[in-house]
Amino acid sequence: MRDSTVDSPLVEVLNLSVRFPVKRGGAFGRTSYLYAVDDVSFDIRRGETLAIVGESGSGKTTTALAVARLVAACDGEVKVAGQDFLKLDDQALRKARARLQFIFQDPYSSLNPRLRAEKIVREPLDSMETVPAADRQGIVDKLFKAVGLHPEQQRLFPHQFSGGQRQRIGIARALATQPELVICDEAVSALDVAVQAQILNLLKALQAEFDLTYLFISHDLGVVQHMCDTIAVMYMGRIVEYADRLSLFNSPKHPYTVALLSAVPSVDKERRAETRRILIPGDPPDPVNLPPGCRFANRCPVAQDICRQTDPALRSLPSGHRVACHLVSEDGTPPLTP
Amino acid sequence: MAPLLKVENLRIELTTRKGVAPVIDDLSFELGAGESISFVGESGCGKSMTALGIMGLLPEKIGRIASGSITFNGEELTTASDKRMRDLRGNEISMIFQEPMTSLNPVYTVGEQIAEVLRAHQGLGRKAAWEQATELLDAVRIPNARGRVGDYPFQMSGGQRQRVMIAIALACKPRILIADEPTTALDVTVQAQIFDLLNDLRRQTGTAIIMITHDMGAVAEMAERMIVMYAGRNAEQGPVEQIIDHPRHPYTRGLISCVPHLMKVLTEERHTLTEVPGIVPSLSEFGRDQCLFASRCPQVTQQCLDKRPPEMAFADDQRSACWHAEDI
Repeated sequence: MRDSTVDSPLVEVLNLSVRFPVKRGGAFGRTSYLYAVDDVSFDIRRGETLAIVGESGSGKTTTALAVARLVAACDGEVKVAGQDFLKLDDQALRKARARLQFIFQDPYSSLNPRLRAEKIVREPLDSMETVPAADRQGIVDKLFKAVGLHPEQQRLFPHQFSGGQRQRIGIARALATQPELVICDEAVSALDVAVQAQILNLLKALQAEFDLTYLFISHDLGVVQHMCDTIAVMYMGRIVEYADRLSLFNSPKHPYTVALLSAVPSVDKERRAETRRILIPGDPPDPVNLPPGCRFANRCPVAQDICRQTDPALRSLPSGHRVACHLVSEDGTPPLTP
Repeated sequence: MAPLLKVENLRIELTTRKGVAPVIDDLSFELGAGESISFVGESGCGKSMTALGIMGLLPEKIGRIASGSITFNGEELTTASDKRMRDLRGNEISMIFQEPMTSLNPVYTVGEQIAEVLRAHQGLGRKAAWEQATELLDAVRIPNARGRVGDYPFQMSGGQRQRVMIAIALACKPRILIADEPTTALDVTVQAQIFDLLNDLRRQTGTAIIMITHDMGAVAEMAERMIVMYAGRNAEQGPVEQIIDHPRHPYTRGLISCVPHLMKVLTEERHTLTEVPGIVPSLSEFGRDQCLFASRCPQVTQQCLDKRPPEMAFADDQRSACWHAEDI
């Protein structure tokens, strides 16, 4: 018999929504709400990587922040290893946060410039008090080694490191409390390509070594393709397509995903020759006054009347692929191909 | 036919607290009319400095052209007067920058900012300049140009602001447009629109484009020739397709293979990315008589550390500054 804890996903997110109040029309204006994350559900199996992709403003980061309860969700459930994160009281939440850590985008502003590297990595241990004080230095030593930094660099301050090395410190800090879930929010976007490769390889190696589960947020589809097992495409707060890596990249269904993939420049000659670039004109609609139908309808090259009238729900195709588009047929034939 | 822009043995020096460093060290290249060329490399390799050198916009008192020549249409730019350079900038050579958010003046409408160029360089009157500004906005595909020309930059999205920058740069129909990381701050769908726009404008107006980028995919989409820069020097240059198929410099090869690219068909198999270990050397190491890539190179030999490699020529004017170029 298989162990059910291994089989059940580490992270289960159900109908998560986050809204922000927006006041318009001066002092007497009415408060309306902007749904930055709107009814989003996904799960991540232990040791795997879920990537969330989408344009800026699509709700990727807000989703991640809501999962960690760094912004308040207005609706939904977030279960990490069976524990409902959104229902925990402050004390329990503090404890539970040890299981979940962040790696941030900007290695320059995410490290305290006044602390030595060892203190930065040690701080989560001191704060969480999960291990006795006497053991903490040993853990810091191990972490420095794991992320490829020299022991003598522990005494240095952040400004004495290069961007890639700083990101390594950020990773060591994230791993200090032995988290199960690590949220990488554009973790390599600020790095030069050569350094980016070093960090991506490191993240992969650490995932295997410590059995980490990643929620990987990026706008770079090449990087996502390399890192993820499953991928969720977000557009204006919604997941519009959700599938495993191979089916999403090799047979995208949603017109937005198709356009997004076609826009990525590639060095692959065959891909360039056979990919028709689909330009999506215009801008996304006003997030406060959403149109009644599909949120992508005003930019979609194949939109029909139904798309402008009815909001499509995320539905499963026979292949397991999930998509929110009226025009994808029952058997999964997409309305638009590159 | 003589090239539109010819850069020969260019050396640009920066004065830092630690002394004088050659940020551009013996760089030569040519750009034909209507051609599209790309500069690639990591930050700190001299891509932007080359652009600023051509534009005559090197930081005053800190940077100077120490030797070499830049000829535009037969005219020497390194010795041209400030007034002459002001005439050329905007009129004949213009530039767009990476940050569309900060390169526009927030207190003027976009129409005023486009019209200003036309009035300064082409002597148009207020009304004619405004009229043409509207046409330019339309040409860079801002929907409802007539309605948007009076907008302030904050009322526009990042992609629209970059289009306004392109409209300003193209206002006087320059012969050369230098685009320094024009889409780095933009979403990929917007990047595709900007590339499409630049390609169309190049076809219509015959403007030559120099694009600076770190994205090999973007180079493959946009350019005919590329120049790979490393530590202020030309590592490799030549036709884009040929270099991607067969790079002759270990740095070029590293730049191509260290990035996970989208391929035509994805497979289950995922390779570990090839790493280019280490980082770009600091300015104090620039100018040494050795291969500056040696400390990061998997194929390094004693020769690389002893002497700066000369440029080796291959078919179709592919040139590589590597002692082992022939074996790669």
